[in-house]
Amino acid sequence: MQFFRNKRLFILLIGFIVLVSLIGYSLTDRDKLSTAEKFINDAVGWSQSIIHTPVTFITDIVTNIKDLKNTYDENQLLKEQLSQYKTLVYEVQEIEEENEELRDLIGITESARDYVPIQATVISRSPERWVEQVTINKGEQDGVRSNMVVITAEGMVGKVQSTSEFTSTLQLLTGFDQYNRISATISRDDENDIFGMIEGFDEETNSLIFRIIEESEKDLEEGELVVSSELGGEYPAGLPIGTVKEVVSDQYGLTRIAMVDPAADMYDFRNVIVVDRALAEPEESSDEEEEE
Amino acid sequence: MKRLLFPLILFLLTILEGLALELLPPDLVMGNLLIVPHWVFAFLVYMAVFYDKDSTYHSVVYALLFGLLIDAVYTGILGVYMFSYALVIYIVHGMKKILHGNFYVLVLLGIVGIFLADLFIYFIYSSIGLVDMVFEDYIVHRMIPTILSNLVFILLLYPMTAKHLARWGREQLTGSSTL
Repeated sequence: MQFFRNKRLFILLIGFIVLVSLIGYSLTDRDKLSTAEKFINDAVGWSQSIIHTPVTFITDIVTNIKDLKNTYDENQLLKEQLSQYKTLVYEVQEIEEENEELRDLIGITESARDYVPIQATVISRSPERWVEQVTINKGEQDGVRSNMVVITAEGMVGKVQSTSEFTSTLQLLTGFDQYNRISATISRDDENDIFGMIEGFDEETNSLIFRIIEESEKDLEEGELVVSSELGGEYPAGLPIGTVKEVVSDQYGLTRIAMVDPAADMYDFRNVIVVDRALAEPEESSDEEEEE
Repeated sequence: MKRLLFPLILFLLTILEGLALELLPPDLVMGNLLIVPHWVFAFLVYMAVFYDKDSTYHSVVYALLFGLLIDAVYTGILGVYMFSYALVIYIVHGMKKILHGNFYVLVLLGIVGIFLADLFIYFIYSSIGLVDMVFEDYIVHRMIPTILSNLVFILLLYPMTAKHLARWGREQLTGSSTL
């Protein structure tokens, strides 16, 4: 039998060893990509952005034609909403001014809500659907660092997983597991805010899993807004994540889990904002120095 | 010129795979079906069937290189695509020796190849704990749609590539390296 000569078996075994060691290397908890990977990502990212331009141009035309069809209905709806917003804008302005004055009064200049936005465009999306990864066209040169939160106009979509010089890779909320958590909160009028972690995505119900940390008998209600919390230390507070769909017990019956409907569309977005938390900048840099 | 052409085509396909999900209608992407483009692999099957002679292994080498590229760019877990693509292309190459290189064999080997490659990827990912999916679910939700959609790609590719590849394969044999 020629099929399994010794040489072939030998090569197969070596290949298997290489495979295991490569996987082992990539699964180690590494913060930074190796130089070779960075170079490859930059080179591919550069050509992706070139090819991406004509492709988006064509898909944009198609979606524009689709949009034209329901312009009238949308217009009606938007007009109604606009009139509501006008009063809201006035209120918000007043409150902001008041907030600023009060802050000046007690001498706080920075807030947990402040952040520096970095605008970016999606240039590719991983064809491997089990790895929810998206590449954007901004990298370390533009100030993107790993673990920064990424939002769209509607809400949070994910966080930066790894960066190279000119591109970076995002992990979407839908690809989160217990190693990638985001602290979140549901704010209440009184002091009884509910804290928890977004720690996964349930494929069956298409919802995020929000594990409530505190022993809380406070009932969650459907439709309540889950926003990011500053307690995680890495993200600014108040970025919308989603709305509560359902509250269930976890598999051991010890903690409560809220199923959260993500605010942002995870599949159809093209422009994102990388959130550079202004407040944590000095802390982060000192942390990095300590690690090194 | 010809030597540069294969890497260029494969590189282009690698990049296009990253855009594939944007080109598909959103309903398909949002649904439960996981359609994965294996376009690079499809082209490698063409190379194995039409370009490579029994004694040359260009397609296997390219499978190693571009599998690694896909790993580095799209998943971050090195070695998975590299190993599965290279091994399956090697098997396809071996099966081609028994069968003749024509259209039906190509379609058959394409289907078998994508089946095996995706199966390897599933096994590796589930053994490292990245994927938590029951095998039956995997077959219904990912395997079958993936094979069907890639089959469409293989059929579309046929009129453009088969003849060229066969001609280049003959030139490779006679030793005239310049095009």
